[in-house]
Amino acid sequence: MKPILLQGHERSITQIKYNREGDLLFTVAKDPIVNVWYSVNGERLGTYMGHTGAVWCVDADWDTKHVLTGSADNSCRLWDCETGKQLALLKTNSAVRTCGFDFGGNIIMFSTDKQMGYQCFVSFFDLRDPSQIDNNEPYMKIPCNDSKITSAVWGPLGECIIAGHEGGELNQYSAKSGEVLVNVKEHSRQINDIQLSRDMTMFVTASKDNTAKLFDSTTLEHQKTFRTERPVNSAALSPNYDHVVLGGGQEAMDVTTTSTRIGKFEASQLCGPPVTRVQYGSSSTWPLKKSLEESRATSGL
Amino acid sequence: MQDAENVAAPEAAEQRAEPGQQQEQQPAAEPPPGEEPPRPGGPGAQEAASGEDAAAEVEAGPGPDVPAEPAAGREEAAGAAPGSSPPPPEESLAPVPAAGEQPGGAAEDGGADEPSFSDPEDFVDDVSEEELLGDILKDRPQEADGIDSVIVVDNVPQVGPDRLEKLKNVIHKIFSKFGKITNDFYPEEDGKTKGYIFLEYASPAHAVDAVKNADGYKLDKQHTFRVNLFTDFDKYMTISDEWDIPEKQPFKDLGNLRYWLEEAECRDQYSVIFESGDRTSIFWNDVKDPVSIEERARWTETYVRWSPKGTYLATFHQRGIALWGGEKFKQIQRFSHQGVQLIDFSPCERYLVTFSPLMDTQDDPQAIIIWDILTGQKKRGFHCESSAHWPIFKWSHDGKFFARMTLDTLSIYETPSMGLLDKKSLKISGIKDFSWSPGGNIIAFWVPEDKDIPARVTLMQLPTRQEIRVRNLFNVVDCKLHWQKNGDYLCVKVDRTPKGTQGVVTNFEIFRMREKQVPVDVVEMKETIIAFAWEPNGSKFAVLHGEAPRISVSFYHVKSNGKIELIKMFDKQQANTIFWSPQGQFVVLAGLRSMNGALAFVDTSDCTVMNIAEHYMASDVEWDPTGRYVVTSVSWWSHKVDNAYWLWTFQGRLLQKNNKDRFCQLLWRPRPPTLLSQEQIKQIKKDLKKYSKIFEQKDRLSQSKASKELVERRRTMMEDFRKYRKMAQELYMEQKNERLELRGGVDTDELDSNVDDWEEETIEFFVTEEIIPLGNQE
Repeated sequence: MKPILLQGHERSITQIKYNREGDLLFTVAKDPIVNVWYSVNGERLGTYMGHTGAVWCVDADWDTKHVLTGSADNSCRLWDCETGKQLALLKTNSAVRTCGFDFGGNIIMFSTDKQMGYQCFVSFFDLRDPSQIDNNEPYMKIPCNDSKITSAVWGPLGECIIAGHEGGELNQYSAKSGEVLVNVKEHSRQINDIQLSRDMTMFVTASKDNTAKLFDSTTLEHQKTFRTERPVNSAALSPNYDHVVLGGGQEAMDVTTTSTRIGKFEASQLCGPPVTRVQYGSSSTWPLKKSLEESRATSGL
Repeated sequence: MQDAENVAAPEAAEQRAEPGQQQEQQPAAEPPPGEEPPRPGGPGAQEAASGEDAAAEVEAGPGPDVPAEPAAGREEAAGAAPGSSPPPPEESLAPVPAAGEQPGGAAEDGGADEPSFSDPEDFVDDVSEEELLGDILKDRPQEADGIDSVIVVDNVPQVGPDRLEKLKNVIHKIFSKFGKITNDFYPEEDGKTKGYIFLEYASPAHAVDAVKNADGYKLDKQHTFRVNLFTDFDKYMTISDEWDIPEKQPFKDLGNLRYWLEEAECRDQYSVIFESGDRTSIFWNDVKDPVSIEERARWTETYVRWSPKGTYLATFHQRGIALWGGEKFKQIQRFSHQGVQLIDFSPCERYLVTFSPLMDTQDDPQAIIIWDILTGQKKRGFHCESSAHWPIFKWSHDGKFFARMTLDTLSIYETPSMGLLDKKSLKISGIKDFSWSPGGNIIAFWVPEDKDIPARVTLMQLPTRQEIRVRNLFNVVDCKLHWQKNGDYLCVKVDRTPKGTQGVVTNFEIFRMREKQVPVDVVEMKETIIAFAWEPNGSKFAVLHGEAPRISVSFYHVKSNGKIELIKMFDKQQANTIFWSPQGQFVVLAGLRSMNGALAFVDTSDCTVMNIAEHYMASDVEWDPTGRYVVTSVSWWSHKVDNAYWLWTFQGRLLQKNNKDRFCQLLWRPRPPTLLSQEQIKQIKKDLKKYSKIFEQKDRLSQSKASKELVERRRTMMEDFRKYRKMAQELYMEQKNERLELRGGVDTDELDSNVDDWEEETIEFFVTEEIIPLGNQE
């Protein structure tokens, strides 16, 4: 199987996501472009234009009608997947770090950064109530005082969200009351990524503390630890095998200052420059990885 | 003062009635403060009067009319109702000019009626002098002043008056060295001096100096001065004649400090510092996995050191050094030395030398302190005079002596007195370096060339100070002294620039210490020498030489007849350091740091390279004390990523990779020298086959046990996970209806659960074909 190289971003990739069926792939990067691709041949279907800053996160709902993106231009935008039309623009006070549709595709969630004097918030909008969008008034806003959210996903059945924090904590917030249902701290450093298993019963976290961990998504009970020698940027669970794939290595900012041998690029499970994002397609046995193309160019690898 | 006036005023008023008693009247002129001043000019008049010093005349001369008035007015006031009726304004104003004139008048006619300011005869001044002149009084000379500057000199010759002048001259000559003598006293009896004298210096510091330096001064054979501070006599007088029995200190049971040597498996321990120094651990070294014994956070502030025989673990703190030991690593001793940075143990583990760059005063040397480890007492402090390399003090192998080198001087001290051996240092002009033999009390030192005098390497026996061998060397640039671990050989590496040649030639001068006259043989090398190392328990040595990338290693053998034989040379080595096994025979050649951590494991008995390996960016290599294992490590102190230590067998087989977050340092716990005799060791070597059989069997058993355990552990883990998955899936199935509801009745559990909605699409892949001709085809 020959990997397909997608070239549509000018700066490092921040997140990639397949839709539920796995026929489309959404990619966002530190440039303002949001790309969508046919996964079968790597042809670009189109772009969602509108953002003016780095785009941190992307999500598509279960029937691939809507696409949600969050950006450092202090906005979260809702798009029509098929036409590329911007359906809603939600202004925020600071950069949007994570976003997501719930199980039914009716409620959206996004978290903002602790930045410029504003604290970290998780906001919830119900799309069935247009007034919430029109007035930019979320039905719920949970403040996060201690350490900011660096990654978040919806829990099973859209009852809660699971958030990973800068300090390594994991919190489960109720999507109805906003209270913290479960709190665990298994990681010692920032959680870079959280991804659910296909049946949403488990999830895997990727952390800067050189480990990835498997948790139960209802109880947040720690199941397994996967140790590496490098910070883990992303982790994903195989939909059809008992496999976990980890991506990571040097932090992007350190790539140019360390020698290739120290970087352990050649020893990484997926060879090549440091992997920032991995994602399994729905039925695929081959995980898709996105590497820092830009860093590669500057470090002369 | 005011009170006194108040009391005096009524009396004076009474006395005023008596005519002619002018002087008695005068105090009344001083306005009692209780009343309104009758004349504002009053004080002015006083001032003027006292200012012209006319008071005495005032008393004598009869007063003019003018003052009588106020006095009369005063009488009225005092007599009628004191303070009730102020004098009429005219009156009060009128005297002002009069008072102003008064001084003039007083001066003219002798101040006839100037008021007297003297106290009445029966006046008692109750103001103490301290209150008045406290600030001046304190400077008044005291009886005891200068007592600190007085010294008493005993054992001074007893002389008659005829020779006293001469004695004084001699004494003056000796004692004025320490400061100016302001006073002396020679007590006499029967026309002769008593044999002790008192001298006073200008300052106490001089006296202290004199005591320090002149005490024990030998004037002649009969007279050795004893000099003491005068103030110390009190101290000596009050010493009780009774001897107090020192209080018995409770016995501290520290347990068996050598328990680790009794371990059944004969494993060794090592200390590991990691998390950039925040955590320190002690491990048993095990072939499978290290077994943790103790782990503590912030055990040390910088690094740790084991004592030479492994009994103590020393930790560094801002306020001093702590020693730990025993089974639980309890604190055994503390040595308070602010800002301590470097330490050194005596080889016998009896003394500890600590160094701190802080706090050094002229009188109280604090830079280097020697401590008694067992009692925790400070034995002696030293100044740090030169910026020499640590250890500044070098110990003899048995801990009986220690020595240090300063400019042109070699000072040898002895224990336990910590005093200079034979009370004097050795004058060796130009001494560059010295080193103790690890096998006897012999010091080797070298002196560079000085004009026509050749450079010299000297071996000196101690404490006799007998020079057992001197070797002269010519055209010397530098020398390095390398002792073989047992002290059997000394190699002096001499860098020379022989006449008529360019560049540096290196000679290895091998001294055979165990033979009569200490014969010397020489090996010459023309290449740059990178490293030199003796085989610890043997007669071989290894030399790394050449220029990168053409580095070679040569192994030499010193035969008993003195012939030095090159056994083997390997070229194209990637190495900059030589690490011999503590038991000899095996050696690791390592290319540390800049050479990327290349490792070569060599057996020197037949000179074969057993293995070539690499620990990328390794910064340290540490043999275990038995020579069975080697640890290579990448320390966070030298390199910030991939900090880890790897365990190898002596043959170069990698056993473990231990990654520790921000790993800093690994140190093996040393073992004390073996108690077995040479015969016993020989016997064991002879029976090695018998032992190895037993060991192999043991190994096999433990291995199969371990693998069984591992399989078992993995199976249970898998089982647990399966159980968990089953539970999770059951829950998932239960929630099916809720999922259907949330997604509008569409079943999304399986990708193909709604095949009917599918559309089939055919996708064509365009494959472009392009032919690019390679090269310039004309």
